[in-house]
Amino acid sequence: MTRSRAYSFILAVAVAIAAAAPAAAEPSGQMTWAVHVSLAPTWFDPAETPGIITPFMVLYALHDALVKPMPGNAMAPSLAESWTMSKDGLTYEFVLRKGVKFHNGDAMTAEDVKFSFERYRGASSADLKAKVARVDIVDPYRVRFTLKRPWPDFLTFYATPATGAAWIVPKKYVEKVGDDGFKKAPVGAGPYRFVSFKPGVELVLEAFDGYWRKTPSVKTLVFRVIPDESTRLAALKRGEVDIAYSITGPLAEELKRTPGLTLAPTFFPFTIWMAFTEQWDPKSPWHDKRVRLAANYAIDRQGINQAVYLGYSKLAYSFVPQGMEYYWAPPPYPYDPKRATKLLAEAGYPNGFDAGELSGDMIYGTAIGEPVVNYLQAVGIRIRLRPLERAAFYQELAEKKLRFVVQNGSGAPGNAPTRIEVNAVTGGRYAYGAYPDIDGLFSEQANEMNPRVRRQLLDKIQQMIHERVMFGPVIEPAFLNGVGARPAVHGLGLIKNHAYSAPYEDLKLKGK
Amino acid sequence: MKRFIVKRLGYAVLSLLLLSLTIFLLVRLTGDPSVLLVEPGASKEDLAAVRVQLGLDRPIWVQYGQFMSSLARGDLGHSFYYRTPVLELYLTRLPHSLLLAAAAMVFSLLVGIPSGIIAAVRVNRWWDSAGKIFALLGLSLPSFWVGLVMILFFSVYLGWLPSSGSGTALHVIMPAFALGWYFAAAHMRLTRSSMLEVLGSEYVKLARLKGLPEALVIAKHAFKNALIPVVTLAGINLVIMVNVAVVVETVFAWPGVGRLLYEGIAFRDFPVVQATVLIGGAMIVIVNFFVDILYAVIDPRIRYER
Repeated sequence: MTRSRAYSFILAVAVAIAAAAPAAAEPSGQMTWAVHVSLAPTWFDPAETPGIITPFMVLYALHDALVKPMPGNAMAPSLAESWTMSKDGLTYEFVLRKGVKFHNGDAMTAEDVKFSFERYRGASSADLKAKVARVDIVDPYRVRFTLKRPWPDFLTFYATPATGAAWIVPKKYVEKVGDDGFKKAPVGAGPYRFVSFKPGVELVLEAFDGYWRKTPSVKTLVFRVIPDESTRLAALKRGEVDIAYSITGPLAEELKRTPGLTLAPTFFPFTIWMAFTEQWDPKSPWHDKRVRLAANYAIDRQGINQAVYLGYSKLAYSFVPQGMEYYWAPPPYPYDPKRATKLLAEAGYPNGFDAGELSGDMIYGTAIGEPVVNYLQAVGIRIRLRPLERAAFYQELAEKKLRFVVQNGSGAPGNAPTRIEVNAVTGGRYAYGAYPDIDGLFSEQANEMNPRVRRQLLDKIQQMIHERVMFGPVIEPAFLNGVGARPAVHGLGLIKNHAYSAPYEDLKLKGK
Repeated sequence: MKRFIVKRLGYAVLSLLLLSLTIFLLVRLTGDPSVLLVEPGASKEDLAAVRVQLGLDRPIWVQYGQFMSSLARGDLGHSFYYRTPVLELYLTRLPHSLLLAAAAMVFSLLVGIPSGIIAAVRVNRWWDSAGKIFALLGLSLPSFWVGLVMILFFSVYLGWLPSSGSGTALHVIMPAFALGWYFAAAHMRLTRSSMLEVLGSEYVKLARLKGLPEALVIAKHAFKNALIPVVTLAGINLVIMVNVAVVVETVFAWPGVGRLLYEGIAFRDFPVVQATVLIGGAMIVIVNFFVDILYAVIDPRIRYER
């Protein structure tokens, strides 16, 4: 072969590869999920995000946000290329990405951003809108938010799953079809477009080749609701689904043993802890810090983790989840029943004491509450488990009707201050009492715009909570999922603090 | 007869009104649904906003008045969870429930009636004992357990049938069996006892004395008369299968009315629970209404007695 013929051959091969490349990038195949909860049309509309992580399972596919958590970045620029905060902390200006299209072909502009914010009526909407004075369109690709006063948590509320206010819907389309019409045929700027939906049964989405970040690799996504976890596992074993959400206990062990299946744990900011509701009552044994400390030493957290979550969960020593902003890591409580007994004796209870009830909801109240009660009883804290139906539990908890020890849990998005506000300061929805010095520091941090100083204040607050043994943190449960043989990239665990597969445009099937 | 029908119609309407009030109040005794629609730890403002959205901030009598006036217009309200009209939800689920109920009913009758006849004819013999065991198991084994065992064996181990969902004839087999077994056992027991009663009657004895072949005595004289209570029971069971196959539909992820009711209860979705119970109740009231009229037509004494 002469040199020129060799060059011609190489060129021909290169051209052939180049020609083949677009065909290879075409989305193909189908990925199917067995979903553990009923899919609801409200999840198609970011305006109605209820402050739980579940709707983001769908939002990440259908819609896109100005800023959102992405792999390696908790606040990744998405529909906004960049943003700036003024020195006085009163204005945030977002520069929008040009050339972004909604699924119906409409271009995304500042009008849509302003409209989406003003239309937002989901979780924390009242708080968000009370603190934002106005939203101005500077130009079609620039939006300015002006706050009434500096608010260090503005981006925590606007640009994370704490709310859905930064997820952008097409103004013209929503105005044309109305709220109900939008839920029936949602149009977004996400990597997948809506195809069909049977409420509570199945959702089908199709790759949107105009997605700004990249064209998805998988053509069709199907979310099938399978309420029973044994059936979800059976469907995964048969290859009817590629990913099965929420498989726990013995079924997770079976999943782990099954060749060809993979157990994929994910985490979101979810902690289970004991709240000592009577610590402010001098007549109660729980008033004595040594008793509360004994309860913390009495629990074998790793034992619970191994039995219920196959060892995949994180052991908790704070009621603030480890993945949250401004989390302070307290020193761990080792499992030390002897020390617990000794502390009880020092507190005046050498033979233990009748400790009342440990109230919990029916889900975690039994799974985690039972072993907790057994461990407490083993050191002489004679306590009974009182499982309550979930809604009744939270209602009684909010009305401060539960006594003794409460096993609480929360997966609400936010940061350390939002958790502290609800559970550990005066006026907190689930706070049975508080300490004036902690209240004071909390008020101080709420107006502190310097992140370094604010962190110091929040560290101090969490140290004081730990020193006073206000809580008995137990575990940060892992969300255990099963993955079948077909997915090459299943997306579980790619985004920190996100329980589900995402980003969907990064998913891949083997051999594609 | 006209007076009788009007009177029965009045009872039917009164029953439905009482049912509507009972279910409206009962679901509200279960607590506040807004707690289940937000994450634990949500602020008071968020909870209050959800209550306003759902109309739960208004006094209960105002809520009931609105519920009844909407009902009179054929509007069963909007689902709290799905935020779509409940009637629309119900109607999308109904065809699946009808299909499953029809398949389960066919199975239960095909199994229950012949086995009941054989058990009655061969009373206290091997067939009868086998039938009793079949009935005992059918009535005792929880349908969720039967369903899960079937999924493990036929779906995971043998790979013959899909584990869950709907769409093909293969999808119907396991849920229809799991749902139908209980009813097959009930139909078997009733057929057996009814047949035994008829087989001991004077006219059957006469037929035998006349020298008619035993097969003809059983098929023509005994079975036809024994069938009446079985068919009545089957009619009521069909309504139950359509509306409250909660466990089977949940295990097999079958998108029927039973699963809708389960979701409604789980999420305290008051409009969904109210609608499914009311429609199910209405079906039973309507069936009973026509059965009453049918009885009155068959036996004129009834219309004068009642």
